[in-house]
Amino acid sequence: MHGRHGRRLVKELASGEKGQLKPFNDELVNEVIKECSENFLALQSLIRKMQEEGLDFQTTRNADHYGALINHLSLIRNKRCLMAYVYNRAEMIQNLAWTVGLRLFELPQEIQEKLTHSEKEYFKRHSAALESYMSKADLNLNVDMVPPKDPYIKVRVLDDLGEGIVVSDKAANFASPLYALSQTN
Amino acid sequence: MAEDFGDGSAASAAADMEEYEMLMSTTDVELLKTAWRNEKAAPEILQFQAQLVKRAREQIQLMEETIEDFEESGLDPLTVSLYQMDLDRAQFLLRSYLRVRLRKLEKYMLYIWKNDSLWNRLSEPEKMFVQRCIDDMEKHLEETVLSKLPDNYQSARRQSVISEEDDMVPEPRLDTFVACKTSNSFVSLRLADSERPLEMERQDVSFVLYKVIEDKIGADIDLV
Repeated sequence: MHGRHGRRLVKELASGEKGQLKPFNDELVNEVIKECSENFLALQSLIRKMQEEGLDFQTTRNADHYGALINHLSLIRNKRCLMAYVYNRAEMIQNLAWTVGLRLFELPQEIQEKLTHSEKEYFKRHSAALESYMSKADLNLNVDMVPPKDPYIKVRVLDDLGEGIVVSDKAANFASPLYALSQTN
Repeated sequence: MAEDFGDGSAASAAADMEEYEMLMSTTDVELLKTAWRNEKAAPEILQFQAQLVKRAREQIQLMEETIEDFEESGLDPLTVSLYQMDLDRAQFLLRSYLRVRLRKLEKYMLYIWKNDSLWNRLSEPEKMFVQRCIDDMEKHLEETVLSKLPDNYQSARRQSVISEEDDMVPEPRLDTFVACKTSNSFVSLRLADSERPLEMERQDVSFVLYKVIEDKIGADIDLV
């Protein structure tokens, strides 16, 4: 049946957890691409048939014309499914660059395994584009992802530490039980 | 404390407060905050605030130097940490502003590239970034899908050669609602489906279609 594989492809995308990549479904993608080629062959042979019968394809409205039209429409539907599949994965790959890291080796092995060769290349090139922007802007945008909170956390001293801990070059001796410490310490 | 004042001085205190708020709202940090909020809430890309970003960066640098000086001169650590806190906030604001824009550029690269008025809202590095994004994305789509499709169906932007215009370009949804308030004292809006205009006073928050206020953002109206 026309378009069933395409639908499965998009369904796979929609059923996945948001932002979670699944392994690239090579098999299904190839099925859909094959279907596109079949549609195209059918389309061409119908047009050829009409031409051989001496009919004008643009104006004749017979069974062959509509047959060709259906093949054309299934083809572009399949194309949309394919593109949606690949494009949405590419968007998730863009997200990885922001949330995980700009280098391929920074991605966990299990994510890398889910990417195709072309997707890995895309990740690298896209990260390079981001880096080039950051170097032109002379600003690293991959830090400070969350707004700064209150810079102090409360620390309760549970045990007598004696000497104390070095806090920004200064020794605090923790005599009283409650302290406000900078989060970076 | 209010009961300590007579009526007259309470009113003048309120007026002072308003004046103070007006003054505060024109500092670069507040302006950047407003630009950042607008950019975050708007569905499409807004004008890049080149001058503002430039000033913010200069101020950040100045602050960094000041803090270094303070640390060297052994100023009260509390004071230094307050400055540091302010610096952290300013840096977050600037980075987040640029980041929000980049995320939009990634999402609507072709749409922005094709539309001159949107394209002109970008900074030079942003333009180069979009161009690279488009090349990379099209190359990836080409390798994975398009090159395997029949002739006449290989365009990344059109469904097939018989499409009369680019019909595969992701576009932002502009017919969406946004929350906004006016930065001036009074703004009157003409809504599409109502006879009476919507009148907004300062500090009123309204929920309106983005399209209605699109051209007033940054001038009369700010998004929240």
